[in-house]
Amino acid sequence: MSGVVVRGLTKSYGPVHALRAIDMVVEPGDFAVLLGPSGCGKSTLLNAIAGLDDIGAGSVEIGGVDVTPREPSERGIAMVFQSYALYPTMTVRRNLSFGLRVRSVPKTEIERRVAWVSELLQIGGLLDRKPSQLSGGQRQRVAIGRALVQQAKVFLLDEPLSNLDAKLRAEMRVELKRLHQSLAATIIYVTHDQIEAMTLATRIAVMRDGRIEQYATPDVLYERPATLFVAGFVGSSGMNFLPGSLGRASMPVARIEADAIPLDGYPFRAPFADGGKVIFGIRPEHVSFADHERGGPIIEAETLFIEPMGADTLGWFQYGSQRISARLSPQCARGLSGKVRLALDIGQVSLFDPTTEQRL
Amino acid sequence: MSAVAAPARIGRLGLYAFLAATAIFFAIPLLVVISTSLKSLNEISDFSIFVPPSSPDLAAWWKAWHAACTGLNCGGVHVGFWNSVRILIPSVTLSVLAGALNGYALSLWRVPGANLILLALLLGAFIPYQVILYPLVKITSTIGIYSSLPGIIAVHILFSLPVMTLLFRNFYSGLPDELVKAARVDGAGFWRIFVSVMLPLSINILIVATILQTTGIWNDYLLGLIFAGRENQPMTVQLNAIATTSTGEIEYNVNMAAALLTALPPLFVYFVSGRFFVRGITAGAVKG
Repeated sequence: MSGVVVRGLTKSYGPVHALRAIDMVVEPGDFAVLLGPSGCGKSTLLNAIAGLDDIGAGSVEIGGVDVTPREPSERGIAMVFQSYALYPTMTVRRNLSFGLRVRSVPKTEIERRVAWVSELLQIGGLLDRKPSQLSGGQRQRVAIGRALVQQAKVFLLDEPLSNLDAKLRAEMRVELKRLHQSLAATIIYVTHDQIEAMTLATRIAVMRDGRIEQYATPDVLYERPATLFVAGFVGSSGMNFLPGSLGRASMPVARIEADAIPLDGYPFRAPFADGGKVIFGIRPEHVSFADHERGGPIIEAETLFIEPMGADTLGWFQYGSQRISARLSPQCARGLSGKVRLALDIGQVSLFDPTTEQRL
Repeated sequence: MSAVAAPARIGRLGLYAFLAATAIFFAIPLLVVISTSLKSLNEISDFSIFVPPSSPDLAAWWKAWHAACTGLNCGGVHVGFWNSVRILIPSVTLSVLAGALNGYALSLWRVPGANLILLALLLGAFIPYQVILYPLVKITSTIGIYSSLPGIIAVHILFSLPVMTLLFRNFYSGLPDELVKAARVDGAGFWRIFVSVMLPLSINILIVATILQTTGIWNDYLLGLIFAGRENQPMTVQLNAIATTSTGEIEYNVNMAAALLTALPPLFVYFVSGRFFVRGITAGAVKG
């Protein structure tokens, strides 16, 4: 097993900075996900790690060896592409074995590995077909198989599930997780889908504009987002952002609308300025009806509408001049209208500086 | 129902009558050439050119192939035929492969200045032959291949490169570049990817290029006349020499037969490969 270390990786296309001094350490056995909107540089970073693109500055280490000057095939990596990139004129068997034949692996060894992969991915019946005769899910399996036969140290996957329909995507997600555990492989995985990232990753790097905004485990990323961008990007019904200001009474408070919300116990990273502007972030699941008596500060709001989502219901409320959403149980949200009292779980809030967008 | 169909049927008949008349009009020269080539000289001088041969025979064809005279050489067009074949095979093979290689490199690999090279090629495709002829004569005679088989082959390859390169570049730039990336991760290099991945994908476009080049080079007259030299005159040049030889009686039947013999190879290529031709052109067009 090998880890990957990226140091000061920089790349630009003319005046456009695709990657700005990226530093990143992927431990051996990690499932690292590069997450971000399109154009954030995540695929560029993956290609740079693979050695497929020239880089401006910086270095890439795989398994403790500096591979920066090496060709992709000499880096001990295998890769799965978004379009699968199967060789159209070759059968599945020849697609799987192409890399091994190029490297002059002995024939018996090639057969052994192809048999192992087709058993593992259940593609034994497809070996003599051409890619054009396969369904999307089958092509996906073959593409993964072609990476696995290499028995590489590190696997790089570039949005491998984005061309599949929702049901198949969920199945392949489970399968990838199973493969990661059974192979104990190091995986770097690119996606723009935060659910994919949350379910698969051991660590997630959220990227924007060629920078890594935060690189942390899914839990930390979700519960303690380091920047406003990460807080907004992760989470399927987004975090509520309420602008206000900070104040100091007997304890720190956030002044939002007409309320002063006490912030006792909030782990400030640095001393804050009295009256400084703040963005108060709270996820919908940490807003609940006050009559449930969970303690914490209570605000009053007007019901706007509700969005039933099956397992739970998202309620939208007008709070002064702002909107706030709450994740509610379907039973207590049914027929909701008029004024409500909402309790905020203050242990779960995130505060951001509106100018630097950093967590306070 | 028949009341409605009757005027429509008359319209159809008129359409077909028009098409048949047009087809005959355009076929008449060819029919005259064929029928003349099957006549004897006496029959040609005594009757109208539109009268079919009374006793068709292939004597003129035999003479055109084996014994027609160009100046003092009376070997027939088969000499030119084999010259054309000797010019054609290396010219077509090398120009198609070079075009494929150029197109592959320019579209799928990051070549510095690729766009400038393409622009130059595009200009090259539009420069009229006449402008380059004299400089090219000087160049080829300086390096000692003027008036020789290698000379004419080199000239054909040079003149074909722009169009061949553009044809293949357009085809390859329709392929996903992840294909090359996947092959590079698999350890294949520039040549291995070209031979194992790209060429097998290019069968249709290779056929199109081969047809274009075969007919183009076979039908060439100007370059063959100037660069091939006396020993390697292609069939077209020899045909012209036969037809314009002014000693004695003009053997129209032999001239016609020689013309038909010269035209046969490209016709044959079209008949055999028309299917691939259409398929290849569309395959290139819709990123097949």
